[in-house]
Amino acid sequence: MIPIESESSTKNGIKVVYVAKENILPFLSEKKQEGYDTLLMISGVDYRDHLEVLYHLLSSTNNSRLIVKTKTDGEVDSVTSLWKGADWHERETWDLVGIRFKNHPNLKRILLAEGWVGHPLRKDYPMAKKQYVNLADNGEDTVSFDKMEGY
Amino acid sequence: MEDKVIEVNFGPQHPSTHGVLRIKVKLDGEIIVDAQPVIGYLHRNAEKLAEMGGYPKGMIYIDRLDYVAALNMELGYVLAVESLMDVQVPERAQWIRMMMVELNREASHLIWLGTHGLDMGMLTPFFYCFRERERILRIFDEITGSRLLYNYFAIGGVYSDITPKAMDMIREWTEDFIPKLEEIQSILGKSYIYVSRTKGVGVLTREDVLSYGVTGPMQRASGINRDVRKDSPYLYYDKINFDVPTRTEGDVYARFLVRIEEMRQSARIVRQILDKLPAGDHYNKKYSKPMLVRLKATGEAYVPTESPKGEFGIHLIGDGSSIPYRVRIRSPSFANLSSIPTMLKGYKIADLTAAVSSIDPVFGEVDR
Repeated sequence: MIPIESESSTKNGIKVVYVAKENILPFLSEKKQEGYDTLLMISGVDYRDHLEVLYHLLSSTNNSRLIVKTKTDGEVDSVTSLWKGADWHERETWDLVGIRFKNHPNLKRILLAEGWVGHPLRKDYPMAKKQYVNLADNGEDTVSFDKMEGY
Repeated sequence: MEDKVIEVNFGPQHPSTHGVLRIKVKLDGEIIVDAQPVIGYLHRNAEKLAEMGGYPKGMIYIDRLDYVAALNMELGYVLAVESLMDVQVPERAQWIRMMMVELNREASHLIWLGTHGLDMGMLTPFFYCFRERERILRIFDEITGSRLLYNYFAIGGVYSDITPKAMDMIREWTEDFIPKLEEIQSILGKSYIYVSRTKGVGVLTREDVLSYGVTGPMQRASGINRDVRKDSPYLYYDKINFDVPTRTEGDVYARFLVRIEEMRQSARIVRQILDKLPAGDHYNKKYSKPMLVRLKATGEAYVPTESPKGEFGIHLIGDGSSIPYRVRIRSPSFANLSSIPTMLKGYKIADLTAAVSSIDPVFGEVDR
């Protein structure tokens, strides 16, 4: 049994557990064996002083739901070894919130262009600063702060 | 002769990608060795935009996620906000919501069926499907005032009541939709070319489905009987009789049959709602428009709903102010689309359009 740090629930009664960052991979693999066979999504939240990663689990046998949370300073273990679907969700969390996933096979940006500066879902992301994406001759995207660069 | 693998680019601008999907395909002759989808061409960060205004303002961005089933998207957001703030909704409003959502599911599946036929080289079902969809859009036009993006569900109810004229339109539609659906099904399902191009193509096994987190009609075509409407009923789905169709083959043809059967069940639900629709208010008068912008919330809520593509969920976190601290969208197409590498590997390049269109991706929702 992997220890949980604290337990609460959402307003509509879904169980939420906090797990230490080091224990996240063994805890999730234990839960997978208990019957939580579907990983619905991975998301990140920026609480200004720390970051949190959320895992939404669903069991297809008894239809129960569980939200696993962990506090981090920017890096957690990847769970792609447990669920193949975690690949894209982790890439998205890295792209938009800026949380690194250790041992991820291909941790690149997925929605924004490679080379984008900053992570938009961080609370300190500068909204006024515009970035422009151009398609370079070699087929890869380039990002710059100058509107006319690349034309 | 040595093996030569060539790389082919598919999309992002291609008629059978249903939007802006790009797939990097590696081919050995005709056989697909590897397929890597590239997404993000329609990204506008709806999550950040929804975190910048008050709770009612988020609706206009949520509307534009899955733009062919906008009411299903609105429902997910509205239910999440209501469970976060403990808003009471009148019974009539809930029944109206349920009926509208089922009609929109019907419209979304019709647009899928038409374009799927088009991808398979058949033009006729496209016209048949869009004719039927047009009737649903006219019903929406009568009730909400718009045809595509409605902004109809409000926190605490719906914006306008259903008119007697709209009731007649819906009743008329439910009466003659099923024969029309049978006609459309026979055009595709009785065509030798269609069946031989879809049977045994793009197979996802039960294990693949669980591993990728695939939901909706795709998982039900692979033998997993799971539907949020049945498993954890929201609105009044527990007071309605309907079946959840499942198949075990997991190929494109199974997805076709599951979606067709789902359309029959949706029409059955709408017919039952028309009989059960109670009288009363269509919104909670406590939540009038000036009140809405002052809504504050703490805590968090995750509400799953069954959208036409799969499980759509909104995770809301409030920090006590009138602006949501975090809006996280669980979009079903995103997870469904990530199964492309497994789904295409080993099939021929001609099967690619059949398999991709059977996912029913809508890129407003994938890229958010």
